Order: sequence, then C-alpha cells, then structure tokens
Amino acid sequence: MIRRLPGSGRIALVVVAVLWAVAAVSPLFARRASEIRLDERLQAPSLAHPFGTDDLGRDVAARVVVATPISLTIGLVAAAVSLLVGFGIGAAAGYFGGTTDLLLSRLIEVVLCFPVLFLLLALAAFLPPSPATVVLAIGLTTWPSDARYARAEILKAKNLDYARAARAAGAGPARILLRHLLPNALPPLLVSAAFGVSWAILAEASLSFLGVGLPAPASSWGGILSAAPAYIEEAWWLALFPGLALFATVSAYNLLAESLRHATTEAGRT
Amino acid sequence: MTRYLVRRLLLAIPTLFGIVVLVFLLLHLAPGSPASAAGSPEAGRRVSAAAREEMRKLYGLDRPLPERFVKWIGRVARFDLGESFVDRRPVSERIREALPATLALNGLALFFTLAIAVPVGVAAGGRPEGPFDRASAVVLFALYSMPIFWAALLLQTLLSVKLGWLPLYGVSSDTAPAGLAGLADRLAHLALPVTCLTYASLAFFARLVRAGVVEARSQDFVTAALARGLSRRQALWRHAFRNALLPLVTLLGLLLPGLLSGSVIVERIFAWPGLGRLYFDSILSRDYPVVLGLSLLGGVTTLAATLAADIAAAIVDPRLREPA
Repeated sequence: MIRRLPGSGRIALVVVAVLWAVAAVSPLFARRASEIRLDERLQAPSLAHPFGTDDLGRDVAARVVVATPISLTIGLVAAAVSLLVGFGIGAAAGYFGGTTDLLLSRLIEVVLCFPVLFLLLALAAFLPPSPATVVLAIGLTTWPSDARYARAEILKAKNLDYARAARAAGAGPARILLRHLLPNALPPLLVSAAFGVSWAILAEASLSFLGVGLPAPASSWGGILSAAPAYIEEAWWLALFPGLALFATVSAYNLLAESLRHATTEAGRT
Repeated sequence: MTRYLVRRLLLAIPTLFGIVVLVFLLLHLAPGSPASAAGSPEAGRRVSAAAREEMRKLYGLDRPLPERFVKWIGRVARFDLGESFVDRRPVSERIREALPATLALNGLALFFTLAIAVPVGVAAGGRPEGPFDRASAVVLFALYSMPIFWAALLLQTLLSVKLGWLPLYGVSSDTAPAGLAGLADRLAHLALPVTCLTYASLAFFARLVRAGVVEARSQDFVTAALARGLSRRQALWRHAFRNALLPLVTLLGLLLPGLLSGSVIVERIFAWPGLGRLYFDSILSRDYPVVLGLSLLGGVTTLAATLAADIAAAIVDPRLREPA
C-alpha cells in the first residue's frame, strides 16, 4: 500500500509520524508548559521563547508541544467512534436493502440536515464536560458521511461472486459482512478514516476554541487559540503558532487521505 | 413527473419527522431534564431550581414520555417555539431579529463561493493536470485544511491590527456617517466575515465543479461539439459545464449546513449579531427554547433546500425522473 502512494502521500505520512513522535516526547515539556510567570506575560517570540509567551507568561512553544498528544488522540478515537457507528449503520443499510435501507437512509439524511456545529455544541455543552464527551459528541455527529461511504461500498460488493459463494455456503449476514465484505471494503474505508481523523481534530479544536471542549487544565491547540481573540491587538503569536500546528496536522491527514484515495482507485482499475 | 414529485415529497416526510424527533431527544440531554436528573446532580452542569421548574412546565417534563412527545409535536405543528428563558420574548421573535444579519453574511458568502468556484473549477477541469489545475489544486487544498477561526484571527491581525485597513469586528462603526459613507462603512465591516465564510465553502465546491467538468469533457458530446468547430471555450462552458451543472445543483442544498456551522464561529469572532451567535449564546446561557428552535430551523431549512434542489433538477433533466 505505501509503495503505491504518490510522493505527496509519503510526505504526509512522514509529517504524521513526526507529529506522533513529538507527542511521544511531549511529557518532557509538561513542567515548562504549565510554569506560570506573570513577570514574563505576553512576550514576543525570542530565543528563550520561540513562540512567545501567553497571558500567564507560559511558554507557548511548550504548550503547543504538550497539546499535541491530546489533539491527535482525540482525533483518532473520535474518528474511530464515527467509523464504527457509520460502518455499522451504512453496512446494514447496504446489505439488507429494502425497508431497512429506506429507514437507515432516512436516519443518515436527518443527521446530515443539521449544521454539524449546532449538534456538536449542544452535545458538548449539555453532557458533563470530559474528554469522553468530546469524543462521543464528535463521533455521534460525523458518522453519516462514513455511513454513506460504507453503504455504497457494500452495495457494490454484496452481489459479487465471492459474496454469493459465501452465502451459498451457508454463511449468515454477520459472517458475510465481517469476514468477506469488510476486508474487501477496507481500502476505501481507510480513506474515509483518514478524512475522519482530520475532521475530528478540526471539530475538537473548534469546540475548545469556543470554550466547550476539554475541561481545564488539559488544553488542546484549540484551547490555546481560545485566548488569542482577547489579545489580538498585542500578541499575534498566540494565534499564529498553535494554529500552524493545527493546520499542519489537518493538512497532513487530508493529504494522506487524498493519496490513499488515489492509490486505491488506481489499484481498483487494474 | 408527478410520480417523481409525489415520491420525493413522501420520502421527505419521514426525514422531517426524524428532524423533529432528534430535536426532541436533544431536549432530553439538557441538564435539568429527566434524563440528566436521573444521574447525580454533579453529572450534569448545574441548573437552578427555577430553570428546572420552568422547563418542567414548558415541555411537560413531569409527564410520561409518550405524552411529552405528543405535546412537543403539537407545539412544533403550531410553530410555537415557546419563550426565551433569557428575556421572556417569543423565540420566533428573537430568531427574526437575528435572521437578517445572518442572511446578509451567508447570502454574500454563497454568492462569492459560486462566483469564484465555478470559473476556477471549469478552468481547472478543462485541462486536468495542466498548470492551472495543479496550482489551483494546491491553493484549494490549503484553504480546505485551514481552520476557519485560525484564518479569521490571521486576517484580523494582518488587515485590521497591522495594516488598519478593515475594522476588527462589529456591524458598523459607532460614529457611522449617513448615506454613501455609511454604506461603505458597513461593507468594510462585512469584508472579513464574508471572506472567512466564503473560502471554506469555496474550496469544497470548486473541487466538485472540477470533478464534474473532468467527467463531462471526456464524453462524446463534447468531442462532437469540438468536431463541429466550436471553440474549446464554448465546448467547455456550453456543453461540458452545463452537463456538470445538474449534480452540482442538487449539492447546493448541502452547502447550507456548512455555512451555518461556519456562521457560529465567524459570528462569534467578529461579534456579528446573527443566528450563529444567538445559537452559541443560547447554548452558554442554557436558553433551551432558543437552542431547540434554532436547531429545528436549521434542520428544516436544509431539508427544504435539498428538496427544492432535487425537484428543480428533475424539472430540468427528465433522466432524473426515471426510477432507478
């Protein structure tokens, strides 16, 4: 699979690997990130503080590093929740067809009708504040796109010879879906998952930026950015650097998804 | 045609019902409702006894579930969204007040999205892998991956704080002059929020236009048009693009939820008194009637928009009316 990726996809893979490596060493910076020094508040970037300091004199660079595992993990877990729910519902709709499909397709349509951020905000603000809430809120609002993807894939594959052979051999729906159709639909689902991760990271950042994301003291990139509007006239570095980390991560996952799509559709043609 | 119309409308009824049910479920997640009161008081965010009492009265929360549901349906059917907890005025009145600001913002954003996305998409799709296609792909990709609040903060820093060209936020200056200068002042205030809303949907839509044109241009009728001696430009716009247009029309309805989501963030950053900000403020102040009313409005509007787009497409293109 990796060998089929175009150059841009390999770059994206390297960026994602670097991000996870940063996440792995981030505990080393935890003390520095939480050290409050009011005598050094809102200092512009310098050698001592490459990304400047925030309104409490904390080192922004260290905070950005410490936030890395939080944003990455929440993105990954939320995307997994979304994929799980989406695949379950989409696969059932595609496989059983008929009334099941009609009902489940309406369900997908219903959720798609709402502005994602409306639902996200309501869930995140109404449920008790915790990382689990954030993950659940993102997963439960973004699954419809995964579901549509899974439905289309299963619909395509369910009448292919190998699926019919499995059915003729007496396999039940669960076995056919999980053992035969799921592995076959894996490459396109991987594309959906990579897009899902970038989406979930963005969603978490939006929630934290609006102040209904992770409860303090945990802070993700969005959480660091939430302080930026108040100091927009004096501290541009509060907006620039955490956002840059977010942008790089989202781009890397999107690029990875695009090149995976490229690789899988080209493989499908041969 | 009638059969298609009837079928499409019938399919929309369960979706509409689903939207109403989903908002009903949202209400039961709200702190102070029976669902959250069942857990420990610390589980939900704290709600005053008065607010709890108010909700109980308004939504009949002490009644059994089926009765509550019937009551909810009845209120929705009468377009009765209740009164805001914050200022006691009808929810519909508060929504009506905030609507124009959001319409102006989103209307302009939608206009610029289409005005830029269509030419860019057609030009890029006209010569796939050409220099313009490659360059625009990189730019669109970057825009697509850029968090809207980050873009807003950077634009504010650069254009408002450093260069002083545009106002930082708000709808108009406190000392706004009358007449033409006042209009210019308002437009200056619109520039940044509209830019932020536009770029996000622009990246999404231009890629769709490109994909549609790429698919259409390789078809026989485009070749035939070129063979008849039409210019490349004519073949592209009059033949390839017009055929790619239909699926795009049906997707237009789906731009709406994205724009409204963007509005929540953009209106907050730019202190814009529209629906997005009303929604966010209502979430924070636990003003449930407003939250539910706006959610319902958002869902129903999108449904109506997709329905209208589908029907419009079927009127123009008879192929879509054929049962699959």
